[in-house]
Amino acid sequence: MSAATAPEATRAATPRAARRGPARTTRVLPTAVLLLGALYCLVPVAWVLVASTKSRGELFSTFTFAPGTGLLENLSDLFAYGDGQFLTWCANSLLYAGAGAVLSTLVSTMSGYALAKFRFPGRDAIFYAVLGGVLLPGITLAIPQYLIMSELGLVGSHWSVLLPSIISPFGIYLSRVYAAAAVPEEVVEAARIDGAGEWRTFTSVAVPMLVPGMVTVFMLQFVGIWNNFLLPFIMLSDERRYPLTVGLYSLLSKGSGEPALYSLAIVGAAVSIVPLIALVLFLQRFWRLDLISGGLKG
Amino acid sequence: MGTAGPAAPARPAARPPGRAGRRGRVPIAPYLFLAPGVLLLVLFLLVPVGYAVHLSLRGLRVSGGGPFGRREEVFVGLENYAAALTSADFLGGFGRLAVYGLIAVPLTLGLALLFALLLDATTTTAKRFSRTAIFVPYAVPGVIASLLWGFLYLPTTSPVSHVTEALGLGAVPFLSGAPLFGSVANIAVWGGVGFNMIIIYTSLRSIPAEVQEAARLDGASELQIALRVKVPLVAPALVLTGLFALIGTLQVYGEPTTLAPMTTSITQTWVPLMTIYRDAFTRDDLPLASAASVLLAVGTLAVSVVLLRVAQRRAFGSES
Amino acid sequence: MQVRALATVTAAALALSLGACSSDGSGDGASAADGPITLEYWAWGTAQDGMVEAWNRTHPDVQVRKTDAGGSTDSSAKLLTATRAENAPDVAVVQYDTLPAMIVGGVAADIGEHVADAEEQFNPGVWSQVEFDGAVYGVPQDVGPQALVYNQARFTELGLPVPTTWAEFAAVAEQVEQKDPAATLTTFAPAEFGGFAAMAQQNGAQWWTVDGDAWTVSIDDEPSRRVAQYWEDLVDRGVIDAQPLLTPEWNARLAAGEVLSWPSALWANGVVNGVVPEQAGQWALAPIPQWEAGRSAVSFQGGSAVVVTTSSEHPEEAAEFAEWINTSKEGSAAQIEAGQYPASLVGQELTLSSAPPVQSPQQADYWQVAQRIASDTVPEVSWGPNVNVASSAFQDAFNAAATRGTSFTDALAAVQEAVVADMEKSGFTVSAG
Repeated sequence: MSAATAPEATRAATPRAARRGPARTTRVLPTAVLLLGALYCLVPVAWVLVASTKSRGELFSTFTFAPGTGLLENLSDLFAYGDGQFLTWCANSLLYAGAGAVLSTLVSTMSGYALAKFRFPGRDAIFYAVLGGVLLPGITLAIPQYLIMSELGLVGSHWSVLLPSIISPFGIYLSRVYAAAAVPEEVVEAARIDGAGEWRTFTSVAVPMLVPGMVTVFMLQFVGIWNNFLLPFIMLSDERRYPLTVGLYSLLSKGSGEPALYSLAIVGAAVSIVPLIALVLFLQRFWRLDLISGGLKG
Repeated sequence: MGTAGPAAPARPAARPPGRAGRRGRVPIAPYLFLAPGVLLLVLFLLVPVGYAVHLSLRGLRVSGGGPFGRREEVFVGLENYAAALTSADFLGGFGRLAVYGLIAVPLTLGLALLFALLLDATTTTAKRFSRTAIFVPYAVPGVIASLLWGFLYLPTTSPVSHVTEALGLGAVPFLSGAPLFGSVANIAVWGGVGFNMIIIYTSLRSIPAEVQEAARLDGASELQIALRVKVPLVAPALVLTGLFALIGTLQVYGEPTTLAPMTTSITQTWVPLMTIYRDAFTRDDLPLASAASVLLAVGTLAVSVVLLRVAQRRAFGSES
Repeated sequence: MQVRALATVTAAALALSLGACSSDGSGDGASAADGPITLEYWAWGTAQDGMVEAWNRTHPDVQVRKTDAGGSTDSSAKLLTATRAENAPDVAVVQYDTLPAMIVGGVAADIGEHVADAEEQFNPGVWSQVEFDGAVYGVPQDVGPQALVYNQARFTELGLPVPTTWAEFAAVAEQVEQKDPAATLTTFAPAEFGGFAAMAQQNGAQWWTVDGDAWTVSIDDEPSRRVAQYWEDLVDRGVIDAQPLLTPEWNARLAAGEVLSWPSALWANGVVNGVVPEQAGQWALAPIPQWEAGRSAVSFQGGSAVVVTTSSEHPEEAAEFAEWINTSKEGSAAQIEAGQYPASLVGQELTLSSAPPVQSPQQADYWQVAQRIASDTVPEVSWGPNVNVASSAFQDAFNAAATRGTSFTDALAAVQEAVVADMEKSGFTVSAG
């Protein structure tokens, strides 16, 4: 790429000219690399979609990318499995990720706003605890979290997955960064001078300015909780409370005397990733991922 | 990050009297805003950390004697730490983790940066499609990603091995020997490139147009602009994505665990977290697992802090 | 606890209103005074739903709610942690080899007083799996006597004899290699602790023994080493592959008719059916090959008991449930229908009048063969308190040996060492055998 680009760009005085430049490789090669990357990312997804059309026998006997004849049967098997358990898992995933992300966004925004816009004793300590939480491997907490949940009598319930999902040190950190940048000091001061209480200042002045940041935290949390495996896997033992990740895993990890239900897991994977991909693609235009690195500048 | 703390914490006693009225309410409000967050932080972060430390100093020992005596919890001091630090399984996991990380981290970041620069370059087309496509794996849970890559790796079901076998080269041993590290790392790269690409790309988009124009007028090529102008300007994004990739590496668990039943090459102690899980749940030795967790957490914190310090000095120069 | 009690009452009320159509039921000694109760039951496998349904239909006062908490490994791990948190279910299925760990971990309660008449319903060898030191920790549910399932159609096609000794088995494996290089007689799964343990026991190994207060561990004893050498030799010569079981890879080879047999246990029929239903009618059951010609020793691979946990508030009803589903005709019938081989004498008797299972409709004497196999089981095999450690050490040591091509007997020695070290650390008195 370097050899091809250099001479052409020196010849071109303006970017406009560069775009009309004659050397075709300068445009074809970078685009080809990009498309190669796209292909790399799409092939496994395409495979899931193709494999979900294969019957149990075809899955292991026909060529990898050859479509099968079992799609409808797979789908009806999937939805019939364990009296419609797959739908329960979908609902659980939606509950954990949806409610968890909403609550997490609220808690993070409030905390981030307080950390960014107030000066008070203990602020540093709290902020460093949050930073520590960002850097701490979440998984190492899973076991003690389990024991604490059981002290609270919540192990195995929806709460055991939902409550730990609400707290997101990274969400608080992001919200603080965004609040510091997006809510001007003067606006807050002005609202206070007008006699607005702190809560009103927050809800009617700050929150509208924080919406892009909140969407970002929501998305990150939603996908994070949706994809989480270990926390629900450790907390839950009742398959009626499983989210999709643990449910699909349970299809693969059967006891001795039962074969893994590969075709069910695959069609389940296909069905469950399609809506999530759609959601992510839809929301990606609203979120502000530059926040994440913006915070580092200080 | 150095400027994170307040410049001058307000001390109630030293408050100027003229601002007391306005500031008088301040000490309560931020605490109320923070209350839910701090409560959850304490309950699900600090208390578990404390609990883990407590557990790590205890051990399960048979009491009452007899071949079927029940095990009970007793204080054992630093025995579990000594056991974890001398365990060949646990330490070996870090060795394998290093190899894995050396593949996964540079590849994830390198590809993410490459794709982000290409998206930002004036010379490429099909950007929207590519950006979306590369981002798609982010929406696929790790467990599912491992399952589907597993199918693409195993000789009989792999399309790659289909081709190599047709060429008479035999199946590609994706899941054994040295290629195994690449195969596991590939799953992480596949899942991580898109997200990191978007972070870097959004940073690139925020570079003022004049900066690039100026470089072009100076006769710089697109490549030169990319390397000399854009990359230094998105350094903070690179540091941050690097940090995430590193933390992600230390937490690798799902991918090798899902692949393990498909090969004889992934042991139950392949990476440190797998050892921790095995000790906690398969071997019912929660104290040992807690000690190993504490060590891993401390190690992660140390590595992160060092990385941030170094990066800050390099990337942000005299700032802070 | 209050929350739980409330939940129990609500669930019971719900179950009652839903189950209003059920027959009046017998009550069977359940304390009806407090109103109906609900027992939580952790179990996996296809047979459970039918068994639970049979109980619920006939016992309106004690309703059972089944939960699938994962297969043996996941489920027993969760039982240990849930017991520590005091929220384990009332009743749970536990594999025989994990039961000692569940006793030491405080999961399984002694139910001897509640199931005093259960012992006579089982063969002594089966009963010995649940009775330790005079205490009864469960009621046997199913047994997995080792057996050879083989692709009869492919055997006939290639003109192969069904091997009766392991020496013959090795010879047939070589024939397969010559007659159809793509196929293999079987694969050796290095992570299959239960299968290896069963073959060692068949050869006379006793891995854990109790002598007074002391344990003796002899995992690398002579009979076990011989089993290790046998498979090491076949793998080394390339006659069979060391490869994990039931992976997409293995399934694909099974589907292609390239895996001709699977030395495992009576439950294998259902597993093969799950993978390759289109090969129904091709598979048959035969006794497991013997280490010495003329002997007929069969050991258990898998099989499980139903235990009552120490967390249960209704141990008496829970024990009654455990006994009933495993010894009544209704329970056994549901079990057999799903392809599980019952542990109880009543259940085994009942199989003889049942049709062959779905993968082997052509083998009319399937259940007769099964009963002959079950009657040859070696009695009194005892498992130690840390089979979980042994199993995980075994998996890693044998996987590593298979990957690196190192010796299986050395791997066995490593397992022995890990098991002894773990028991000493826990404070047991141990001597190496």
